[in-house]
Amino acid sequence: MLDRESTFADPKIIELLKTRFVPVAIDQAYQRRQQDAEGRFYQKIANQGPRKIGTGTTQGLYTAAGDGTFLGYTNNRGPDRTLKLMQEALAKHRPAKVAAIDPGKRDARFNPTPPEGGLVVRVTSKVLGGYPETDDPWRRMFQESIGRDNLWLRADETQALVKGEFPKSLLSRIARYHLVDNTRGEPPMWDDADVRLADSEVKDGKLRATVHLETKSGARAYRAEMLGFVEVKDGKVTRLDVVAKGEFRGEGPYTQRAPKGEFPFAVAFTLADGKDVADLVPPQGSRGWVAGYLR
Amino acid sequence: MHAFLLTLALLAGDGLTEKEFDTLHAELQPPADAPWRTIPWKISLLEAQAASAREGKPIFIWAMDGHPLGCT
Repeated sequence: MLDRESTFADPKIIELLKTRFVPVAIDQAYQRRQQDAEGRFYQKIANQGPRKIGTGTTQGLYTAAGDGTFLGYTNNRGPDRTLKLMQEALAKHRPAKVAAIDPGKRDARFNPTPPEGGLVVRVTSKVLGGYPETDDPWRRMFQESIGRDNLWLRADETQALVKGEFPKSLLSRIARYHLVDNTRGEPPMWDDADVRLADSEVKDGKLRATVHLETKSGARAYRAEMLGFVEVKDGKVTRLDVVAKGEFRGEGPYTQRAPKGEFPFAVAFTLADGKDVADLVPPQGSRGWVAGYLR
Repeated sequence: MHAFLLTLALLAGDGLTEKEFDTLHAELQPPADAPWRTIPWKISLLEAQAASAREGKPIFIWAMDGHPLGCT
């Protein structure tokens, strides 16, 4: 999130990425495990840097030539270090004649696609208050950030919406994997047992739901009311807009510095139109186990 | 029985109004003109490699835990 609002908001970096590089964004938890051509290409590049495959995360910023020759790496993702990385890469880069790699058979586990006949819904989230006031621009970025993810619906759930129903499986998936505070980093999801209450009703295209999520220890919790609108035309869902709002408590190992105590938190859902490349990104909750996410 | 009564009690609560819905739904949409969104990101490393081979440009990889364009 911080990278989006700082480094990749820097005009010099944007200009270089648009004109001198081929920019690609990936969740390396996939590529470092993938047993296919894409995985091998990533692993070749990463293994030339300081973080080797098989030793944990390889996250960071990499530059490489089209043949996989390593040009540079940093995990200090501030604008100055990133710009230095890019300039050094351009100085080192010697374009070689290289063919496009044949993707071959893809490793299905790490190349999930949305369910056929289903839907992709954009999910955004925001902490609405509770942070201490700050003049620190970096801290303010975190405080004002909007979390992003995608929700996938199965074909049968989509058809249920067409019929004016809101399937329990869908409410359960929303509760467990999407009512999470992902505004400061990778969030912990909710376990089945954390779903204390998830109830919904749909009337005349209007969804109302109530959710109470809480961990066994009580350290993390979210009680929310949801309101949504479903519209259908010619047997297709043309609108699926939902908002959840309530009081959140707690944080995860990678989402530290949440406001103290309970704080207002909201999540919004909007049908994706496929115009944003991010619409193709699999849901974070599906990582490594799509079937479990979709059940 | 307790869960059922609790459910009814909560559903009978005020809930979100349509006005609140409109305000929050708009507030939570990321700005379409955010600078990072103007960058022509690819999400396939092999597509990036093919473009690099074709155009003679180096690849810039933003590799994170969780997808940089999603997740957080």
